Amino acid sequence: MADNQPRDFQQNRMTLDFFEDYRRRLTGRLAQDPGLTEGEFDRWALELFRLQYAHVTPYRRLCDRLGRTPDGVTHWSLIPSVPAAAFKEFDLTSLPERDRAEVFHSSGTTGQKPSRHYHSQSSLRCYTDLVIPWFKTHLLPDRERLTVISLVPSVDHAPHSSLAHMMDSVLRRCGLPDSVSLGRVTDEGAWVLDLDGLVGRLQRQAAADAACLVAGTAYGFVHLIDHLQLRKLHLPLPTGSRLMETGGYKGRSRELEKVELHRRLTQALGVPESHIVSEYGMSELGSQAYDRRVGASGPRVFRFPSWCRVRVLQPGSTLAPPSGTPGLLTLFDLANLRSVLALQTEDLGVAEGEGFAYVERARNAELRGCSRMHL
Amino acid sequence: MMDLPNYFIADLPSHAELTPGMLTEACQALRRNRQQYLLGRPTQAIVDTLCEVAHNWLQPDDPFRAIALEQGPAATGFSRPTLERGLDALFKRINTTEVHALVLQELGHVERLDRFVVTEAELKTGRTAIATGPEMLVHFTAGNLPSPSILSLALGLLARSAQFVKCARGNDLLPRLFAHSLYAIEPKLASCLELATWEGGHRGLETALFDQADCVTAQGTDATLADIQSRLPQRVRFLGYGHRVSFGYVTREVLSRFHARELAAEAARDVAAWDQLGCLSPHLFYVESGGSVTPELFGQLLAEQLEKLQAVEPRAPLDPEVAAAVASRQSLYGVRAANCPDTRIWHSPDATAWTVVFEEDPRFQTSCLHRFIYVKGVSDPGEALQGAAAVQGAVSTVALAAMGTRAQELALELARWGVTRLCPVGRMQDPPLPWRHDGRPSLGDLVTWTDWEQ
Repeated sequence: MADNQPRDFQQNRMTLDFFEDYRRRLTGRLAQDPGLTEGEFDRWALELFRLQYAHVTPYRRLCDRLGRTPDGVTHWSLIPSVPAAAFKEFDLTSLPERDRAEVFHSSGTTGQKPSRHYHSQSSLRCYTDLVIPWFKTHLLPDRERLTVISLVPSVDHAPHSSLAHMMDSVLRRCGLPDSVSLGRVTDEGAWVLDLDGLVGRLQRQAAADAACLVAGTAYGFVHLIDHLQLRKLHLPLPTGSRLMETGGYKGRSRELEKVELHRRLTQALGVPESHIVSEYGMSELGSQAYDRRVGASGPRVFRFPSWCRVRVLQPGSTLAPPSGTPGLLTLFDLANLRSVLALQTEDLGVAEGEGFAYVERARNAELRGCSRMHL
Repeated sequence: MMDLPNYFIADLPSHAELTPGMLTEACQALRRNRQQYLLGRPTQAIVDTLCEVAHNWLQPDDPFRAIALEQGPAATGFSRPTLERGLDALFKRINTTEVHALVLQELGHVERLDRFVVTEAELKTGRTAIATGPEMLVHFTAGNLPSPSILSLALGLLARSAQFVKCARGNDLLPRLFAHSLYAIEPKLASCLELATWEGGHRGLETALFDQADCVTAQGTDATLADIQSRLPQRVRFLGYGHRVSFGYVTREVLSRFHARELAAEAARDVAAWDQLGCLSPHLFYVESGGSVTPELFGQLLAEQLEKLQAVEPRAPLDPEVAAAVASRQSLYGVRAANCPDTRIWHSPDATAWTVVFEEDPRFQTSCLHRFIYVKGVSDPGEALQGAAAVQGAVSTVALAAMGTRAQELALELARWGVTRLCPVGRMQDPPLPWRHDGRPSLGDLVTWTDWEQ
């Protein structure tokens, strides 16, 4: 039996109870008021750290090695973080195998090992629940529901994509009944768009003067823009329409700078810059950051909900870089219930108040594996 | 900024726009100057000048050295002590003994470039011979280190070629300073050199330059080299120096408790030299198990030595994205070290200044450099070379720590496997002047021979 599986049913039961109890209390608290104060966040984070230290074996070994354990860590910012790349090599989860109902994989470049972020039925529900309030705050501040046209494949097509699960939740809980997912997955696993279907659908929205929310990856939008340009189509969406774009390119299409992508989107779909929102998320992370509230203007700053905090750190250090200098984003996310709440990303950003301005992803080659890990 | 006079194109303000016509004219002037000032000059006179320039660079109060050390850290990204050590190592090699050894080794006679001369072997076959360098020699230098461009210039002078150096963008300071230091002593010789900088791949400028060239040398990635070669006229000789990797091999016999620390100190110098950025810098050390000091302990000793070096010869500050790549690797190996019995990591406290990763896994692992070194335990050279199969054919230097007959055997095995240079640990970035770059005679490859049968 693997080390991180509880040794008997009783212990398993207790593990579940601890995390279940935590989940109930946290979601209950957030349902009352989604804003956690700094002090509250600190208490929740330290409690979760204690649980994860006890039940995520590879993580506990890391903390022990670093000499930073729950008895010594007195503030959330000192909780040891796990590099995102470690999710490719280790099962960073407190879930015993039989409770792993779902796994999220990163959309890594072809040939690379994908990361694994496990969910139980309960933690998956927690994830899809917590997605909604922050999404609505940024994408639907002015209405309850809207037609959502997703360029992301549905959960049926992409069961291991955190983004597909997120959009599935958004469609069900924020979308009008005519909402739809138009993303497809090829036999090779690549995400593609039914471009003719999509354009037809957008044309109907325009003809009916029915505003909509179009959500997709940056590369999906680039495909759409290229397609419209090729067909010499201009497709102004009705007033009130909005766009959410997320994620990098990973060689899947032409890469456009964010500003350029937004400019081209405005040109092609008639959606003003104030109604284009960028999302920052990843498969190893339960929460999402958005860089704008629909309708707002001013500089774009990514912000997480109150249950996820970000620190911008000098690479290799626990110190912040000089003001205005980029650093590595380290995230502390209570929504990472059954994995590890403290995550060191490979993304560089500049701290802006409580949020950050995204800079770029650090270049790092795939490393050869550790041949004899004991898991 | 500096006030070097505008002797070379690279001295012009950065906003000055280059045109193909300017390059053509510059090359024509270089050819005339070569004819007038360089072609008839005896080898010994050129050697004397080169050695005087090098000698000056080694003096603490030399004005060009002063500028290099003052402006170098900002311009090149190396710390002052790293530059000092690197420049000293380079210029110490440019001395009469080594230059003579180079000419003798590659051309068989020190006056081979001056007149028809005869060696014993030639005498037996009734011949004499003279060697002639290309009239117009063009260098495309890579960005990493200043030493290859300076050495290329020195070789070109010996070959009596007019030379045009296209420097990598942002890396022209040291080649320029070298050219100016030559100008200060022998302006006529310096008038046979030209230096310029532009973003590589500029078709208009490069076509004009290639039209003038007789021989082109280039350093860079395989793709860069292939691109340059594909654009050269048929008559132009091309010498490409592609990307190479290097590593160390430490045998169990030298791993006594007494010697291991000293060896680790030498290994640390190899890692720190030019912040590990050259093709001759090690990505890893293969260390044999079975000695008094285990491979893992050698890793720890190396870490201690890197920390010591950091105090006197600090690693240059890194751009955030490079630092982030190093830090990400450190963190990942931190998780591995906590979970794998055969992985360990040591690194500078709270920083990316140096890192040692010990792994049992013998597969060659390319380092992210900037003083990030792997130590890999192996049982024998066969295991190491099998692990390094992925880089076979692309290995420059192996630093070999071995004694007696084992050293002989290993050297032969490594040579047959394709390694082009073996050296002691601690000298990886300090090859003698006559070293054969990537296994080729560097002066010998430049010249053309004329045999005279009598």
